[in-house]
Amino acid sequence: MAAVRYACRDGWRLIVRHWGMSLLTVFTAMSVFFIIGASTLFVLNVRNIVSSLENQLTIQAYLKPKADIAAAEKAIKALPYVKETKAITKDMALERLRSRIGEQAKAVMLLGENPLPESIEIKVRKASEVAETARLLVAVPEVEDIVYAGRVAEKLTRVSGFVEKFSIVMLLVAIAASGVVLFNTIRISVYSRAEEIGVMMMVGATSTYVALPFVIQGFILGLAGALLASVMLCGTYYAAVTRLKDMLPFLPFIESTRLTGKLAFMLVCCGATVSLISSLMAVEKFIRKASRPL
Amino acid sequence: MDIKFSGVTKIFEPDIIALEDIYLQVDKGEFVYLVGETGSGKTTLMRCITREVVPTRGQISVGGNLLRKINRFDLALFRRDIGVVFQSFLLLPNLTAFENVAFVLEVMGLPPKEISERVSEVLKLVGIWRRRNLYPPQLSGGEQQRLAIARAIVNGPSLLIADEPTGNLDTHTADEIMQLILGINAAGTTVLMATHNQYLVDTYRHRVVEIHRGRVVRDEEQGRYELNGGC
Repeated sequence: MAAVRYACRDGWRLIVRHWGMSLLTVFTAMSVFFIIGASTLFVLNVRNIVSSLENQLTIQAYLKPKADIAAAEKAIKALPYVKETKAITKDMALERLRSRIGEQAKAVMLLGENPLPESIEIKVRKASEVAETARLLVAVPEVEDIVYAGRVAEKLTRVSGFVEKFSIVMLLVAIAASGVVLFNTIRISVYSRAEEIGVMMMVGATSTYVALPFVIQGFILGLAGALLASVMLCGTYYAAVTRLKDMLPFLPFIESTRLTGKLAFMLVCCGATVSLISSLMAVEKFIRKASRPL
Repeated sequence: MDIKFSGVTKIFEPDIIALEDIYLQVDKGEFVYLVGETGSGKTTLMRCITREVVPTRGQISVGGNLLRKINRFDLALFRRDIGVVFQSFLLLPNLTAFENVAFVLEVMGLPPKEISERVSEVLKLVGIWRRRNLYPPQLSGGEQQRLAIARAIVNGPSLLIADEPTGNLDTHTADEIMQLILGINAAGTTVLMATHNQYLVDTYRHRVVEIHRGRVVRDEEQGRYELNGGC
């Protein structure tokens, strides 16, 4: 208990003694964690937009004349990737046309019989599944023709894939950067107390006893950086979303406070973990070297 | 705490022989002067006892502990039973005199009340109680030496290793420091003291071990200082 009390007191003393470096570390950690949080929010928003666009992507399968629409819908529903289907009868198709072009739709009726074909509207889970689903639809005997936004689907697939890869790289780089910053701060702290550590070990301090204050120092700095980053992120995100919504009202931005709360919690956990690991590594490396006899 | 060196040789890379085939037995409660020219191997021998230096050949046993086999954790516990007065004091400049001594006991995990009592007692014993709130650079050489001794004895060690504890001190202060160390020895602590101070060795007669070029060349009960240098 006394050792923990000493470690906390000494860890705090280390922070105060090197206050300039501590401030710089907190600021750097805050910046890095802010970048991590901001890039995560960016990725989540892009995913949200992509996913909402994907939801709007439909494949229209036009049926052969006199094909059984119920049987066709049943066959299509059984295909993989198909999320949702909707049967469009001749009357429904005409109704849709009327709603789009108004009274001009009456011209169609001049032909005598409703010439619009029956069709099935199909939704898939992901944009990447559109092309494959279209290929499978060709094999359905009732289907005569297929219409879908092939290029849009391809582009969405590409954007989605890129955003995922970019986000992973971005997160790894940012986490590594924060780890290196904290590692260096603790290393400087440890080296500035090299003589003290030597004396401590000489009078019988265990490695844990020597290491604990430095680990606590790193933990506090990392945690403070992550906490400040979370607060800043939540503040700036809602302000940014409000503005963006005015500028781009057709894009669905994430506004859930639960999500940002979760993200802030994740950032704090990430800050705590990264700071603990990097401080431990820095101090352990030094102690191993210092305790090695000649 | 007894010390036993059996055929200890230490060679620093590439080929500097610091100690050569040392056989030495120091009994519990004994007072031993280590004498010899600068660079003869006195400090290396002492550092072997605290396991800052590991012999190239031979065995060292201290208080029944075979130092070659001791692990990192046990080494820490072992060192708590040894007091070391370094040649250059090695006081921590940003801690007060009181804190410099207290931190040895903090390392051992003692409760604050006991730490306070024991530090006060030992600072009074070495005569720097009134200077307890000063930092080492604010103390004189003699006071720093007393503080270093206070730090070495505050945990009640079974063995006190003092490397030139009176170096750079005037005769009067050296005398006072010596009285202090003798008092500690009288209380049952084994003392191994490296010194160049002829006056002290010849005045306070005890066993003298002379080292020359890494070898024990003289081992006398109630010996005198004069260096034989292997003759």
